[in-house]
Amino acid sequence: MVLLENDSFLTELTRLFQKCRTTGSVYITLKKYDGRTKPVPRKGNPETFEPVDNKCLIRATDGKKKISTVVSTKEVIKFQMAYSNLLRAHIDGLKKKDKKSKSKKTKATQ
Amino acid sequence: MPHYQSWEEFSRAAEKLYLTDPMKVRVVLKYRHCDGNLCVKVTDDAVCLQYKTDQAQDVKKIEKLQGKLMRFMVSKESHSMTMETD
Repeated sequence: MVLLENDSFLTELTRLFQKCRTTGSVYITLKKYDGRTKPVPRKGNPETFEPVDNKCLIRATDGKKKISTVVSTKEVIKFQMAYSNLLRAHIDGLKKKDKKSKSKKTKATQ
Repeated sequence: MPHYQSWEEFSRAAEKLYLTDPMKVRVVLKYRHCDGNLCVKVTDDAVCLQYKTDQAQDVKKIEKLQGKLMRFMVSKESHSMTMETD
């Protein structure tokens, strides 16, 4: 699992989308992150870890290659804008809504 | 493991689930260009909410929901459902 900076992550995510255009899926996962870098200790060992509240983890994979990045409050605005643009640009193979309510012939999208 | 047909219901249930335990909930997005569909899942490993679509109009909604949850995740959890603006 490769942990990247926000910008590198977005670049790599673009590459993943491009790679999977003909076949395969792109999986993106979003989760709140408390900043821990060590695994949760077994009971008996005191947990000396202070969780932070303002981070989230974004992961992406195409089934083979895995990438991830951590976004915190300071970066979220910029990251979220770039991320939304990326999704909208690449997730374009879906059916457009027919304006005519009766659609006897459904147009096949390329 | 409900599959939702309506975006409204899914979106409301997803936000509600996130707010019950932010640390446990994750949002998964799966996109298949070759099949032309998009699937969103929100789960806390006990409850699993899913929404599938092949409609271009849903991309914006899904992307907005992700953005909203992302902002919840990076904000200090002092109050829920309102967006941090500072």
